[in-house]
Amino acid sequence: MRLIQQVKQQINIWAILSSMFILVILLPAMLVGKHFFAKPNENWLHIKEYLLLDILSNTLVLMAMTGILTTAIGVSLAWLITVYQFPLRNFFKWALILPLAIPPFIGAYTYHGILNYTGVIQSTLRNQFDVQVEQKYFDIMNIGGAIFIFTIFLYPYMYVITKSFLENQSSSIIENARILGGNSIEIFFRIILPISRAAIIGGVSIIALEVINDYGVVKYFGIQTFITAIFQTWAGMSDLDSAFKLAGTLMVVVILLLLFEKFARGRKRYSYSTSKIRPIIPKKLTKSKAMLASGYCAVIFCLAFLIPFAQLFLWMVMTYDKIVTVEFFGLIKNSFFVAAISAVIIVIVGVIIANYTRIYQGIYAKVISKVTVIGYSIPGAVIAISVLSIFVALDNYLLSVFNYFQMDPLIIFRTSIIMLITAYVIRFLTVGYNSIESGFEKIGNSFTEASKTLGVSTIGTFFKVDVPMVKGAIFGGFILVFIDILKELPLTMLLQPFNFFTLATRAFRYANDEMVSEAASASLIIIFISGICIYFFHKISEKGSEK
Amino acid sequence: MFVMIENLKYQYNKSTKAIIQNFSLKIKKGEIISILGESGSGKSTILRLLAGLETPNSGSISINDNVIVNHHHFLPPEKREVGIVFQDYALFPHMTVERNIKYGLRKMSRIQKQQRLDEMLQLVRLEDYKNRYPYELSGGQQQRVALARALAPAPSLLLFDEPFSNLDAHLQIKIRNELREILKHTNTTSIFVTHDQTDAVALADRIILLENGSIGNELKPSELASTNYMLQYRTGLRI
Amino acid sequence: MNKNFFGMVIVLVISLFALVGCNTSSEDAAAEEPEATSSEETSSSNENETEAEEEKSGVVNLYTSRHYDTDTALYEQFTEQTGIEVNVVQGDGDELMERLDLEAEATEADLFITADAGNLARLKEKGLTQAVESETILNNIPEKLRDVDNEWFGVTKRGRVIVYSLDRVDPSELSTYEALTEPQWKDRVLIRSSENIYNQSLLGSLIELNGEEAAKEWAQGIVNNMARDPQGGDTDQIKAVVAGEGDVAIANTYYVGRLANSEDPEDVKIAEQVGVFFPNQETTGTHVNISGVAVTKHAKNVDNAVAFIEFLSSVEAQEAFAEGNNEYPVNPEAKASELLNSWGEFKEQDIDLTILGTNNTRAIQIFNEVGWK
Repeated sequence: MRLIQQVKQQINIWAILSSMFILVILLPAMLVGKHFFAKPNENWLHIKEYLLLDILSNTLVLMAMTGILTTAIGVSLAWLITVYQFPLRNFFKWALILPLAIPPFIGAYTYHGILNYTGVIQSTLRNQFDVQVEQKYFDIMNIGGAIFIFTIFLYPYMYVITKSFLENQSSSIIENARILGGNSIEIFFRIILPISRAAIIGGVSIIALEVINDYGVVKYFGIQTFITAIFQTWAGMSDLDSAFKLAGTLMVVVILLLLFEKFARGRKRYSYSTSKIRPIIPKKLTKSKAMLASGYCAVIFCLAFLIPFAQLFLWMVMTYDKIVTVEFFGLIKNSFFVAAISAVIIVIVGVIIANYTRIYQGIYAKVISKVTVIGYSIPGAVIAISVLSIFVALDNYLLSVFNYFQMDPLIIFRTSIIMLITAYVIRFLTVGYNSIESGFEKIGNSFTEASKTLGVSTIGTFFKVDVPMVKGAIFGGFILVFIDILKELPLTMLLQPFNFFTLATRAFRYANDEMVSEAASASLIIIFISGICIYFFHKISEKGSEK
Repeated sequence: MFVMIENLKYQYNKSTKAIIQNFSLKIKKGEIISILGESGSGKSTILRLLAGLETPNSGSISINDNVIVNHHHFLPPEKREVGIVFQDYALFPHMTVERNIKYGLRKMSRIQKQQRLDEMLQLVRLEDYKNRYPYELSGGQQQRVALARALAPAPSLLLFDEPFSNLDAHLQIKIRNELREILKHTNTTSIFVTHDQTDAVALADRIILLENGSIGNELKPSELASTNYMLQYRTGLRI
Repeated sequence: MNKNFFGMVIVLVISLFALVGCNTSSEDAAAEEPEATSSEETSSSNENETEAEEEKSGVVNLYTSRHYDTDTALYEQFTEQTGIEVNVVQGDGDELMERLDLEAEATEADLFITADAGNLARLKEKGLTQAVESETILNNIPEKLRDVDNEWFGVTKRGRVIVYSLDRVDPSELSTYEALTEPQWKDRVLIRSSENIYNQSLLGSLIELNGEEAAKEWAQGIVNNMARDPQGGDTDQIKAVVAGEGDVAIANTYYVGRLANSEDPEDVKIAEQVGVFFPNQETTGTHVNISGVAVTKHAKNVDNAVAFIEFLSSVEAQEAFAEGNNEYPVNPEAKASELLNSWGEFKEQDIDLTILGTNNTRAIQIFNEVGWK
């Protein structure tokens, strides 16, 4: 009887809506599955024999090296900022997140522009000092360069996650270690690193996913990875089957990675806050050590933000009269509009699913909660292809319906922006969902239960209690998704409707066409908008940790 | 009988052992019951079953001759008119005291709501605090707001989950005396679960001892106080 | 409670409408959305009087891998002359081709513009193009710069030339593509990777002219003489010549033009330090390629599409279109830019560009066989 009642309780508007959304998310995965198990053709055998090992090793090297370096930089910065007091600490505290505003592909072409023969370094050396340098020392377009780019533009993920983890640690851990006579280095390696394990693993998996799914950097640098191979197989060889097989292989890698994360993290969470902990009070450093700490932060900040920013600014000054036209404002409007609408939809869907999986804790709800991540594990190109095929089918169906009634179709989905937004939702749902879910996790169930025992229905409770209480997390999720979409490339490139150009696609097309300085204006606007968003995000999380 | 609980059984999905078993209880209108038991004895689960936050495996509950749960009927918590004061109070942090208390009042005109609010504030003596937010209140004040909020819709049954565990000792004594007065004054049928015998003695008309998910013994407060039960209870001896 | 829920539904529905609405309004500066226009047509078809007028104008939908700022001005000019709105999707040529393929009959695209005859030939081979009959176009575009069945047409032309260091190379040392495989050029030749279609088409043309055997020898010879492993685009090869990494580079003409016309004074300096040499003048001619246009197989606005190609091939449009990317016009009547003229006339390879598509696969195989990265 209990089973029946539970089933009865489960069938409600939340379950129905959540299942619908999840079905949409699953479509690309099902398509990948279909091709993955199809009979391999000649191309696939060729890929398997000659390419697979290369792209696998390139992808793994990029992932591993970026993971190690971002961990070193991100954790050490988080540790310095949380535990010590030194000049400019308050500025660096949020300035060190800023590199997240620079999409790695923009960073890549900017650094190539700085370092190449006509770049500012070499031309200054040549023109002012008459020094000619060996080109190979200034060559960034290789796998080492890509690791450098990924490291400096992705470390903020690690920094933010470990920082918020450390901030939520009781100061007594560090104080005890100090009392027991450990020096700073010892404390770092023997205390900070081990206790931050869960946070580090969380950060590494986010960064690894970003690296795996990168399209802009590796394409610009000409490095063969899964993503470029998928594009080449599909667009170059016109072989959808093999492209999807590659995508399926990649999905397996990603899912293994996520399982590893879950396994390695165990039951620890990387961020929790109780009201009862005593925050760590930063210790003042001696003068020379303080200078060292500031200097270290400054170097990272310059490399990861100031230098590329300054270079882009110079280029913008050079080209803006040619680039910044009426049409350019259209780009800003498009980018802003599509990112905002998609982020709103993602947040709404995310809240509905998160609320469902929270209230009805069955196996089904658990599965749904896990499935949201699928969009993130499938390469953007594959999502694009799947969405396109689905919409073509949908349009053809609608067309036949309209023809039957002898009417002209009122709307063609495919060329409308709905297709692109659908793809964004599939791709980035997990980003918004995770933020909202962790918000719900923090408040627990007791407020919802209190509301229900006071006679308010689930839906009423949702609007009066649940949503207002997680609005910080909702806003945080919105901002993260918004920035991601602002920077997004492959989906936008493949699914753009007519006359719809965004800042990111414009910047990429200029850069990829070897017109780097022309790409600067669009890039700077992206960085500017993301920068503002990051600032707000920082404010929210500050406020959250104060409570 | 006002509240009838019969043969309640509950076990977690994964567990093989029932946490509540053969639990039956009859409560008169206006009676105050304490359920006393060690942590893990399943006493909070009973409250959750009564409130509708969990579904029992078998058994039935009815309040005032209305069946709220049996083997083919389940009334969701929002329709039960069962109030609950949580251990951590669960006051909505984004609402003022006034809005917290008014939260459960529906099907009332604005004037009626205002009247009810004033009544409740007077009852818990927090008239001057209605525009404060929960985090601006002390622990004892928060506790009283939680009580007022639960009392406001005039529930047919009011449940308390370890209501004093977050309070200082002297506050605990003061508040529980007040509380008994208020409950008797409003003639509210209530159930407390607690692990503290002194609470049980001070508040209850009747004390239920919970052992391994079923009723171990039933006592009058005076019996509990008069025997050296406390000692025996602590050492695990039966009476 | 239910009120709240309905409120949510209403908000969702409104935002959906806003979405479709904004989609239209977001392009008001440039051109109308296709679906907006089609719904306009729906409503106007009810009023018979306006029907005739509507038919004269309409839209043409374009997938293009070109994206120069001068293009937009030309589209506007076309709209001004004909009343036909031009709707544009810009993207990577290969990816757009696959999108077109996936969309099949349902496609909205009427026209497809992409660089390189090899790509256009592939498009035709996939059955995504259709033949066009227009005297104007045939008169404007020379036969060898268009498809044999008139399924695609070149609209701009570029040469793949030898760019050399003015300091270290005397142009008299240079003669042909083939000569770059001689031992004197050991470790001096710069060229980009074989993944690039420009190299594939160059090799494809050599297969046609010299035969497979000789073409493979050539590719092997170039690999042996490379100054470094291929990396970067054509611009990077030219910069590497000035930087002294190598002495000669094989690059498309417009990259040199672009450096010369750049806003960055450092780029201009680069262009001043290199010379452009048109190889094979005494023999088979310099390899030329095109960027071209085709009417898609399932185009809905064929007449408009043809009108657009006619417009693009006209002398006036040709000059602007070619100059936008420092390219040569295909219409013999149109004049090339000053910079291009300063490089002088040159003899072109005399092959049908369709061949480049035919030889593409073999070219890729040869590159793989000789280890050209």
